[in-house]
Amino acid sequence: MFEKILIANRGEVALRIHRACREMGIRTVAVHSTADADAMHVRLADESVCIGPAAARGSYLNIPAILTAATITNADAIHPGVGFFSENAHFAGMVAEHDITFIGPAPEHMAIMGDKIAAKAAMKKAGLPVVPGSDGPVADEDEALKLAAKIGYPVIIKAVAGGGGRGMKVAHNDEVLRQALPITRAEAKANFGDDTLYLEKFLETPRHIEIQILADNHGNVIHLGERDCSLQRRHQKVIEETPSPALNSATRDKIGARCVKAVKKLGYHSVGTIEFLYENGKFYFIEMNTRLQVEHPISEMISGIDLAREQIRIAAGAKLDVTQKNIQLAGHAVECRINAENPKTFLPSQGAITDYHAPGGLDVRVDSALYSGYRVPPYYDSLIAKLIVRGRSRNECLMRLRRALEEFVIGGIETTIPLHQRLITETDFINGDYDIHWLENLLEPEA
Amino acid sequence: MAKFKFDDDLVRSLAKLLEETGLTEIEFEAEGERIRVARSGGAVTGTAASQPQAAVAAESKAATETAEVGEEHPPGTVTSPMVGTAYTALESGAPPFVSVGDTVHEGQTVLIVEAMKTMNPVPATHGGKVVQILVENGDPVEFGQVLMVVE
Repeated sequence: MFEKILIANRGEVALRIHRACREMGIRTVAVHSTADADAMHVRLADESVCIGPAAARGSYLNIPAILTAATITNADAIHPGVGFFSENAHFAGMVAEHDITFIGPAPEHMAIMGDKIAAKAAMKKAGLPVVPGSDGPVADEDEALKLAAKIGYPVIIKAVAGGGGRGMKVAHNDEVLRQALPITRAEAKANFGDDTLYLEKFLETPRHIEIQILADNHGNVIHLGERDCSLQRRHQKVIEETPSPALNSATRDKIGARCVKAVKKLGYHSVGTIEFLYENGKFYFIEMNTRLQVEHPISEMISGIDLAREQIRIAAGAKLDVTQKNIQLAGHAVECRINAENPKTFLPSQGAITDYHAPGGLDVRVDSALYSGYRVPPYYDSLIAKLIVRGRSRNECLMRLRRALEEFVIGGIETTIPLHQRLITETDFINGDYDIHWLENLLEPEA
Repeated sequence: MAKFKFDDDLVRSLAKLLEETGLTEIEFEAEGERIRVARSGGAVTGTAASQPQAAVAAESKAATETAEVGEEHPPGTVTSPMVGTAYTALESGAPPFVSVGDTVHEGQTVLIVEAMKTMNPVPATHGGKVVQILVENGDPVEFGQVLMVVE
């Protein structure tokens, strides 16, 4: 087992990792920017090293600084957390070159999953359902029409060299497709210099459902069920829950087993999350995250498994100490991501926390690095706390969540707590009746 | 389990250190033993905004000898441009770049900080007299750590 782990991250996730390390008797090194000198995990860590200025590129995204800090503190492993370098194969490779263990999967798997087209191809080969499409460029109208008939309308035409939502057109029938093809080609040429197009099935009201997997270096792979993360705004998750109101246990077991099989085939080891779009009873693979996820606590709440701990154990070469048969997923859990933002305009709020009171009680968990007197720095993302609540049923969970949100005090800055309080009273949410567009549709008239 | 030997000399010297430096708390841990000496009357973790003491205590709570990073340094202080290992001489056995009392000019190399096998010369930010050298040869240093004071 590792003696000392360097935490190459910040905020609440750095604190999360520190906690897992300390529970295992592992010493921690907190590397931080000048802006985070007073961060809670920096205060609690066994050692701390200031590695650069506030701007992430000089500190948290500064490879030489992180590796040097690991060298001078004699850390034997680096935990990359979430974001920053957690899915950067180049960084993982450099860490290994320095004879330090990177807590995560092999760089090769990070590289494959980092490329969306390669990831799709790899997962298709490993037996997972993917969004049906042309698998390559579409040469002409005839090919497009044939493909659309095969896939089924609606379809979306996309520029191969495109991105940012541009160079895309949805077509609901042959007529529209015929007209849209030349227009999209011209748009692609104008925007990206390349008019190559491909076709995919367009999902109109999908849910975002992801499966948590754990795999050790001894060929053992398990899954901890799903998380429904459909409540999103601008592709950022706002509320997550498990189990998904849309799945029953048969569906869950089936997709879970398929994911386990795919992960085994890939030879992937560490924790990971396989993300799908789910519509009309069908799953469509979109991407795999080769790291711990922000919303991992909800899976922990219903399974009793400490994911950060398991991730560290796996990296140290240990075997998973549970099998799929032993996994019991009990109850219902919801997470509210609380940001330092105005709950209506979403403008970032910064400053000193004057009063801080976190809710407590049975099955109420707060993952946050806040404390009274702490100054929220303006340089990083606005997530400042995660409120995670569990109940024996979805109803009990939501009642408890309502009570916990009422009790949560974060004074001195604006937070999105009022937004969460509102969302959990919306009829659609209470009925579990929402898809990935629901939240934006709800907020749009008020924008 | 080894018996914890109560070392009152250690407590006395830590208490003296508190007085001299104006800190409110010192915690020291080594080889499985840990001791914490705190000055009573100052809340270390403030709970309400109305306690100005809380803010002061939080700032003075640095139990390491490195200066608070991000704070204003008087002109002439030489801070580390990166995390690494500080060297006061080009190689072991060689004479140090500067000694206390020397006069240096702006831009003169006064130290080297090594990171990832590259040696990075650290220049004096102002000309003047070397008043304090705060690191020893081979000490690990943080970004922004005060290494030397030149007046």
